[in-house]
Amino acid sequence: MTAQISLPWEDLEPGPMGYAVYVVDYDASTGTMYRQAEAPEEDTVTAPSSRRGLLADPGYHALNVYAIAMRTLLRFEFALGRRVGWGIRGHQLKIVPHAFEEANAYYSPDAEALLLGYVRSKQPTFLCLSHDIVAHEAAHALLDGLRDKFMAPSSPDQAALHEAFADIVALLSVFSLPEVVGHLLAPVRDATAPEGLVSKAKLTWEVLADTALLGLAEEMRDDASSVRGNALRRSVRIEPQRGMLARAEFEEEHRRGEVLVAAVMRAFLSAWAARITRLGSGDGAFVDRKLVAEQGADIADLMLTMVIRAIDYTPPIHITFGDFLSALVTADGEVRVDDSRYELRRHLLATMGQYGIVPASGTKDGRWLRPDKRLVREGSHLGSLQTDPTEMFRHLWNNRSVLDLNANAHTRVASVRPSVRVSPEDGFQVRETVVECVQYLKITTSELGAHGLKAPDGLPTDAEVVLEGGSTLILDEYGELKFEVSNPLPSKRTSAAAQERWQRRLEFLFKQGYLTRGFNRSVGLASFHRERMMARGDTAADRALAIRLAEEGWT
Amino acid sequence: MTDPRPKSAQLRAYNVGFGDCLLLSIDYAASARHVLIDFGTSKLPARAPATRMLDVAKAIEQETGGHLDLIVATHRHSDHISGFGAAKSGDVIESLQPAAVLQPWTEHPDLDPAARTPAAAESAQGRLALSRTLHYMSAFAGGAASEGRRLAAVARFPKSVASRLEFLGETNITNPAAVERLMAMGRAGRPLHASFGDDLGLDDLLPGVTIDVLGPPTLEDHPSIARQTTEDAEQFWHLAGSWGLAASERSATVHDLAPLFSTGHVLKRVPQAAKWLVPQIERAYAEEVLSLLRVLDGVLNNTSLILLMRIADTTLLFPGDAQIENWSYALFDAPNADQIRRRLAKTHVYKVGHHGSLNGTPKTMWNDLARRGDEQAPGRLITVLSTAAGKHGDARRNTEVPRRVLLEALRAGSDARTTQSTRSNKRPWIDVAVPLSGGR
Repeated sequence: MTAQISLPWEDLEPGPMGYAVYVVDYDASTGTMYRQAEAPEEDTVTAPSSRRGLLADPGYHALNVYAIAMRTLLRFEFALGRRVGWGIRGHQLKIVPHAFEEANAYYSPDAEALLLGYVRSKQPTFLCLSHDIVAHEAAHALLDGLRDKFMAPSSPDQAALHEAFADIVALLSVFSLPEVVGHLLAPVRDATAPEGLVSKAKLTWEVLADTALLGLAEEMRDDASSVRGNALRRSVRIEPQRGMLARAEFEEEHRRGEVLVAAVMRAFLSAWAARITRLGSGDGAFVDRKLVAEQGADIADLMLTMVIRAIDYTPPIHITFGDFLSALVTADGEVRVDDSRYELRRHLLATMGQYGIVPASGTKDGRWLRPDKRLVREGSHLGSLQTDPTEMFRHLWNNRSVLDLNANAHTRVASVRPSVRVSPEDGFQVRETVVECVQYLKITTSELGAHGLKAPDGLPTDAEVVLEGGSTLILDEYGELKFEVSNPLPSKRTSAAAQERWQRRLEFLFKQGYLTRGFNRSVGLASFHRERMMARGDTAADRALAIRLAEEGWT
Repeated sequence: MTDPRPKSAQLRAYNVGFGDCLLLSIDYAASARHVLIDFGTSKLPARAPATRMLDVAKAIEQETGGHLDLIVATHRHSDHISGFGAAKSGDVIESLQPAAVLQPWTEHPDLDPAARTPAAAESAQGRLALSRTLHYMSAFAGGAASEGRRLAAVARFPKSVASRLEFLGETNITNPAAVERLMAMGRAGRPLHASFGDDLGLDDLLPGVTIDVLGPPTLEDHPSIARQTTEDAEQFWHLAGSWGLAASERSATVHDLAPLFSTGHVLKRVPQAAKWLVPQIERAYAEEVLSLLRVLDGVLNNTSLILLMRIADTTLLFPGDAQIENWSYALFDAPNADQIRRRLAKTHVYKVGHHGSLNGTPKTMWNDLARRGDEQAPGRLITVLSTAAGKHGDARRNTEVPRRVLLEALRAGSDARTTQSTRSNKRPWIDVAVPLSGGR
């Protein structure tokens, strides 16, 4: 199945190499460098019509990964209202479409690249030809650019979130292609309906789930995803239950991530099914198939924007699913006040709730509360505050007490990002500045008590322990504090609930071996994908085993 | 035999570098019985002659008077069975006409993917899936070893990574000569393929000795032992295995790792802009293969036999390279796990699992051992370690073999013996007298 996508023109070098992406077609398994694809001469690039032609044309493969990665980048830029960088030191993400003969693909911060494998069998399988896989890996690289601490170990939720987010972006990205949705709906038969129409009664939630969601899962089964593991196929089978995230099976990070994917995809279906009931008039009315597909794609597209936009409203470190949900509804509500057309916020809150994911804000509407704080601004310059990390640090330092910053910790303003989003209601611009401030404190085991924490059993008394906290500050166009989304270092002001989260975090890090062993980000993602592919952590027994591995070994 | 009670026993651990080779000799009033537990190496000691395995085989021949009663091949890793495969050393061992050959159930000939016997067809699907997966894994390991050799010759490629690839790849290749020899020796005597709880029926061969098989469990008992054999995983290893076959047979014409696309698409030189990246891709590729090797290395380790022997009142524990996944059933999940743990607690001689790696000695099992104690403790636990430092793992990641913290625990709590303590080429072994009087 193929679909056509549009991208803004750019003056490409061979590769193709553009301002954000450079495709390097090197194959480490055979030690071969393939010819660089030339920039297309025509405005339209068409996939080779035969399967054989598609498989034999590396130039098309290169253009395909370029196009999907750029489309993903542009979706992020559209949602966030600014230019967005990858999580690498440079600006041009390298994509290697035939990196090695292995059924794995991953984003490697060390190589500054997306490495996509292939498998030779009777007929080769190229992971670079799968839209969802390329979009998934690009989403990892973009999320890493927005929140570099999300790849670090912190909690089962954070461990699961990177993968779940990449899955959600990839799946919604596929569903936002009307051709794809139309193709998936084709099996819905209605003998009573005139050509091109279908009875509304035929398009219930269950039918959409069966045809669209499971249909896509099956499509992917025949595709490269089946070699790489199929997130959708596994996620759609997870029936909602409120207490499920507390169960041992779902503490395992792969399974936990699939719960978040399931919740978002079911919310998408609910919004779509509800919208269909409002199309046409009366229960038995016919609706245009094409319109149904377009509405589905439109909802997926809007939801994709929401999911990406949410990242600006998440804490810079130690994220939970509840944080993500509050960020989703708050960020969306700030720009898209009127949600009556598709009621996406309502559907997301309801479906997430069915899986036991409740907003971290503790509020009924799920939105972050506005802080009851005023920051002093003596000597700060508004223009600089919107762009300059040094000016911002000065500002935060002057307000360290009200922001509950630990003066003894190493403090860094990780980013200051101005954003401009256009409200669909009135066409006015919503201007914000998104600030990430992180703190790093290295202490010894014996000093944990002074921070209200208990050393995990078995941690040597002379071990060094790193505590990291941080805040995301959203400033309005006047530089006033609009939202403060925080996970600060433990202090006297830390609430009992937050202190308990810290203790759990510490226990988690110790159990996983990170307190003593550290963590390599590139290796982390590669092995995450591999373990998922091998269906590790599928069952409660596997989870119990994972705990045993940690407890019984001589780490 | 007039008096079937064992009078004394001795455990001899040969220094085969990184590998295992142990000879358990039990003396009776008028005769002796001998059990050989593994005979393999993946790296000989630094100053050992190349004939070390043949020398050891001859020493075994001499020590046993030309006859073995039982051979135990705990699992198919080369550091446990390579000596059976080598022509000269294998011939010597075969000439000792072992009365029985004991292997894990995963080595049953009916599970050979190529066998296609009626028994194989009737065998549980899960077992066959595991067997097929092991077959693919072995092919993959072969490819990894050959890639290690190729990458070692690539300019600027880190030699340590290349040699690790080669070493771990070689360890995991199925050694057909060893497998066939074990099968032939089994056929000539009594072939035994055991799983958890099996009664081996060896009373005639080893009077006064009982052997509890604590691992590996069957797939039916404990599916987690082969979690890499789910449908997706089997397909994955199948594809990975086909790569391995091609990589290890580079001259093959059918599928020989030629470029993916026709020569018109191939560039002779790496473009300037990509020069920084190419070594990064090579490195990522090697790490990827190495990670997969570690996964399959663990799977093979978990097919290892775990044997708890009682000679008179003395308990000896031989866990091969079993890791937590394998151990889990006996320690925690078996219906009689409590009873097993009480039996394990009495262990007097512990052959340290998996060359002293971080996950070859479950802490629960270790903490249960009642004979742990300081030097003055009567009937103190004896531990025997067969290993070579610097071959596996990385101290910076706390994965070095033998693991430092485990060694400290062994030294503090037991009379810790190691094959590394002998450098003799004439008598390359350590002897451990097995006390049969019971102790405290």
